[in-house]
Parts: sequence; structure tokens; C-alpha cells
Amino acid sequence: LQAMMQGESVSKPVLQVMNTRAIATGTGPPRYRVLMSDGVNTLSSFMLATQLNPLVEEERLSARCICQVNKFIVNSLKDGRRVVILMDLNVLKTADEVGGNIGNPQPYNEGQGQQRSAAPAANPAPSKPQQQNGNLSVAGPAAPKYHAPSNQFGKASAPSTVKTPGLSQAKVVPIASLNPYQSKWTICARVTQKGQIRTWSNSRGEGKLFSIELVDESGEIRATAFNDQADKFFPLIELNKVYYFTKGNLKTANKQYTAVKNDYEITFTNETSVVPCDDAQHLPAVQYDFVSISDLENMPKDSIVDIIGICKSYEDVTKITVKANNREVSKRNVHLMDTSGKLVTATLWGNEAEQFDGSRQPVIAIKGAKVSDFGGRSLSVLSSSTVVINPDSPEAFKLRGWYEFDSEGQLLECASISDVRGGAGAGANTNWKTLFEAKSENLGQGDKADFFSCVGTIVHLRKENCMYQACPSQDCNKKVIDQQNGLYRCEKCDREFPNFKYRMMLLVTIADCLEYQWVTCFQESAEFILGQNAAFLGELKEKNEQAFEEVFQNANFNTYEFRIRVKLETYNDESRIKATAMDVKPVNYREYGKRLIASIRSNAQLG
Amino acid sequence: MGDIHEVPRPRIAAGHLAQYIGQPVCFVGRVEKIHPTGKFFVLSDGVGKHTTVELSEPLDEEISGIVEVVGRVTNQATIMCMSYVQFREDKSPFDLELYNEALNIIHEFPEYFPFG
Repeated sequence: LQAMMQGESVSKPVLQVMNTRAIATGTGPPRYRVLMSDGVNTLSSFMLATQLNPLVEEERLSARCICQVNKFIVNSLKDGRRVVILMDLNVLKTADEVGGNIGNPQPYNEGQGQQRSAAPAANPAPSKPQQQNGNLSVAGPAAPKYHAPSNQFGKASAPSTVKTPGLSQAKVVPIASLNPYQSKWTICARVTQKGQIRTWSNSRGEGKLFSIELVDESGEIRATAFNDQADKFFPLIELNKVYYFTKGNLKTANKQYTAVKNDYEITFTNETSVVPCDDAQHLPAVQYDFVSISDLENMPKDSIVDIIGICKSYEDVTKITVKANNREVSKRNVHLMDTSGKLVTATLWGNEAEQFDGSRQPVIAIKGAKVSDFGGRSLSVLSSSTVVINPDSPEAFKLRGWYEFDSEGQLLECASISDVRGGAGAGANTNWKTLFEAKSENLGQGDKADFFSCVGTIVHLRKENCMYQACPSQDCNKKVIDQQNGLYRCEKCDREFPNFKYRMMLLVTIADCLEYQWVTCFQESAEFILGQNAAFLGELKEKNEQAFEEVFQNANFNTYEFRIRVKLETYNDESRIKATAMDVKPVNYREYGKRLIASIRSNAQLG
Repeated sequence: MGDIHEVPRPRIAAGHLAQYIGQPVCFVGRVEKIHPTGKFFVLSDGVGKHTTVELSEPLDEEISGIVEVVGRVTNQATIMCMSYVQFREDKSPFDLELYNEALNIIHEFPEYFPFG
């Protein structure tokens, strides 16, 4: 014990537990404080690392038992006291086997470093417990009292060893040992994730912060810097580099915001210092745990995953306004594909969306993306996620090789599990239904419109009244009134025009194997189905009836994929389910075939 | 055997050849090799198994890509080809694995996919 307290390195000391005491921490698991003895001295300033809590809770570690400490750290508190954190220990003999206290240990007084008995402080001969089993009950235990450490150590002068005059002599502690009971610590860790600066403003004021995740051989931990520290450190700290971090606040982690495995997290204070570390070979690099895109379909919504894929295509950045706080935010959808042949859409936000360059189909690795069920399955990049383009990792090279050289890679028409096609309005859930299912599930009868996609064949088109005369202004589609004097009036624009534009409103019946449905197709869908644009059709109707009819006949009995919006609508006191085609596309038979096969198989399972 | 086009000919994969010996079948596969004489060629199916196709007269054109062969299965589990059709892959590639999956289903549920 003496050697331990004086900072000498002791390998695997065997100690007896005299007593354990739980200390409540308010939030989080209790900490256990242990009074230990080496037969010569007792010392109460032992804390059990939380991962060893079960040992006490299951009563394997209890007063009188003997244990061998495999890993411990000595921390110095502000007032010079030392606390030993027990990171890993084995119970050699349980309390009942031991029976009583060994020896006559005296409480250790740190100031009395000189008082050493001949036997070294550590390692009472392991054979002792067996022999003395019978005798122990006789030896009156020294009744080690459970002192508050201040009695013993309050006067101890600041020990000379181990204190850190300069940073270079700082003793580096493992991340796993960090806890709120010590504020002077130094860790050497690699930044595995760096978030963007986020600002907030609420009734209590505003501020900014950014978070990072740090890793070393013992574990990982999250750290956040606010306001001034955020400004100071954001440019300094780089992803994947190793630094010495000294002195920050430890508090219990808010597990809601992070997937990092640590009970605590660090907050930088104005005393915190960050110094680059050169000798970092021993530290693990950014840990990715990649999931293949096809597995995403089985993951529950809101889970956090790491993913890597080729950016097969990407969309332009768009700005949307967040209703909640009326702010404009940039977003961009990128489509990632991996060797499983599946495509997933990932949404990037803010700066990352704006600066994204997907040209030449880079490999993208995302750590900590959130799985959402938007459109099946898609990914959203959080502020705590990291997006790395063309990372320097074996998986990236493998992907690149597969994509470039394996012809499969490029030709692969992937099944998109995010099905973003024709997503009409935010929150549209693409789901494939047969018309029968759509009717039997009563889609559209709720308050909101329902959307679904289906494969259907056109079996009838209504030629009569398939077009109307609409306002020629750019964005106005209101029906104009024919003033009969060569002018047409639009009520919405409150203007009269000498012309109009034809707009289609085509009613078609589509059918699949079990059901049929009337669907209204507006301009784009109708033009697609008929294969002609509205203006031309308008002319045909007036000039060449036969050709006009032919267009409709040719359009009949074609099969397409329809994206349909159904809603209960009330018109003149009558409520009816109305279906509108939001989008009409040629059938992608490959996808359709895959869906059918999957559906057959799952139905077969149901017996 | 001109009547082969009048009879129902089930679609099979290479694995089914043994069960259909002597019967007319329809087989789709990717051309792997053509024998120099032009009288045989080898097709691979969706799972990579190879099948040899024999012709009564040698080929008079180069064939490649996906081919659908209609013919009779011989005792050696090859196909005696009566006619063939090449699939065009300019618009979109033919997914041979998906085709195989579909074949599996057809053979698994003959009650829903009756052959003639």
C-alpha cells in the first residue's frame, strides 16, 4: 500500500477488502469506496471503477475478501490527497472463505512514508490466508475504522512525486479512469469525431458549441467545448490527430445525445489545454463499424450506424426553412451504394451539404449516421456524425476497386431502400401497395392525405373534359373564364388575357390483378401517359378528331409505376375518396421483380 | 422436332437439367464460350453453373451476352438447341440472378405456375 501511494509501480498487489461503501452520485451509477488493507496498513481512499460495480452488487467483493488488483491508477486530488482507482481486479478468495482480517493493519498515514516494516507493502504471501484461516478469528482485528480521509491526510504535504510542473511530465491517465472526482488529469487521445459548430439561442441567451469524440487504448469519451473554448479550439483540433488534453470538467454523460460508451463526458473549461502529441502510434485510429446498406433495412429506426459507400449520385443543395425556429438550413441528398447492391439516400445538412463535392463518385464514410424510416430506410447525418470523403481505409479501397473494375459495380441498378422517387412533400412515406391493399386499408380516409406507389395498367382514359383552359401566367393554373370577347379572365390573378394555356386533368382508370381505381392525372402525368404535350393535344382536339382519339387509344393498356395521393375530399356536401397521380414512370421491372419475389417468399413463410 | 414450339416448355435452370432429360425446355443464360466448330456453346446461369448447348448446324453468327435457348435435354444433360434468341442489353442489363430467383419460385410453387 505504501508503495502504491508513493507512486511506485506495483504489479498486481494482493489486498484485503476491509469494507465497502456506496457513494451516491446523484445521477448515474453509484461509486463504491473501498477500505483496503495489505496486512500492514489500511487505506480508505480506494474507488472502484464503475465497470467493477457488479462485483460489489453481487457480493463477490465484500468486506474481508482478498483480491488481486490487476490495474489501478493513482490520482492526486487538488489538495494533495491521493486516490487509487481500481480498474480491474480478481477476487481471489471471497469473504466467507477468508473469515477475518489478516494481520493488524494500521491506517496508513501518507505523511508517514518512512514507517515501513520489513515486509514490503505489497504482496502478503498468498499462502498466508490458507494457513491463518483458523487463527484469524483469534487475532483481534485492529478494528480499522472507516475514517474520512481528511483525518489522515489533511496535513500531508503535497507529495513530491508525480506532480506536473510542466505538461511534458504530466502523467497520462487512461480515458477509462476519468471521473468527476478528479479535475487534474491529462489524457492522450485521438480525435475520432469532430462535429460542426452549432449555435443556439433560447430564452436564457445564446451560445455555440462543438463536440468531439476521443479515443485511447482504454476507451472513448465525448468532449464538448462551449463559446470561447469553442472558438479557441475548433480550428486547432483536427479529426484523426492525437492531442494531450488536460483539465476539463467531468460530468455524467447524457446518453441521449451520444452513442459513446462512457458514463462521463468532458466539458472544456478555460483551464483546459490541448497540445498536439507526436507519439501516437499506439492509439487506435478512428473506429468504424460499418454496416452494409442491405442490413440497414433490418435496423430499427433511430439507430446510429457507420456506413461506407460509393456516392453514385447526388442532388443539388436545397435550402429549406425549419418551421420550428424559422431558420433556413441547407440540405443535400446523396445516394450511396455498396457491394450489397443496395442504394441508400443520406441527407447532409448545413456546411457539409454546401461544401459537398460528389463529382467522380467518391467513397464516403459516415460515422454515426441516424437511420430513419423516411421512404423505407434512409440516413440522416447528425451534428455528431462525421462524414469523410475518400477515407484512407481498407474498406474504402475495396469499394473503389469493386466499383471501378468489377463491371457489376457500375451497371448495378441498385435497389434503393430509400425510394426517394416522387416523394411528394416532406414526410411522404413511399410504400408499395397493390390497389386492393390501398382500398382495403382505407388509405386516404384519415385527416391527412396518404401516399402510396403501385404498378398499374391503364384500362380506360376519359377523353371528354380532359383539358381545361387555364391562366397563362407562369405559376397560376386557375381555370379562366371565357369572356366571349376574345379575352379570358383569371380570378386569381385578377387579370384578363387574350389567350390561355391548355392544362390537362385526365381521369384514367388503372387496374392491377385485383382492383381498379380512378385516378386524376394532371399536366405532367397526363402528358407522360399520352406522350404528347397539352398544347399539341389542344390543337389536335380542335383540328383532327381522329388523331386525337388515336393518341388515347395508344395510351391505353400501358403499364406504369404510379405514385398516388389519396384523400377524402368534400365537394358540395359530398365526401369522396379522390386519388391523384403525383408521378408516373415506366416500370422498373427489376425492382418490381425483386419486390414480388420478396413478397412471395414472405407470404410463403406465413403458410 | 419441329413441333417443339407447339409443346409447353418449362423454363429451367442448370440445376434442373437432370430432371428434364428428354423433355423440351427453355433455358436462359449468358454465353461463356463458343466451340471453334460453332456446334457447341456454353452458357452460364444466374448462379454460375455452366450448361452446354449443342446445335444441329454450326452457328452462322457470333453470339454473346444473354441468350434464350429452346430445345430438348439430352441424356448427357446438355441441351439440343432448336432455336435461340439473343436478349438486347442496350436499354438495361438483364439481371440473371433475379431471373434465377424467379425460376426458383416457379419451381417451388408449381400450383401457381402450372406448365401447360
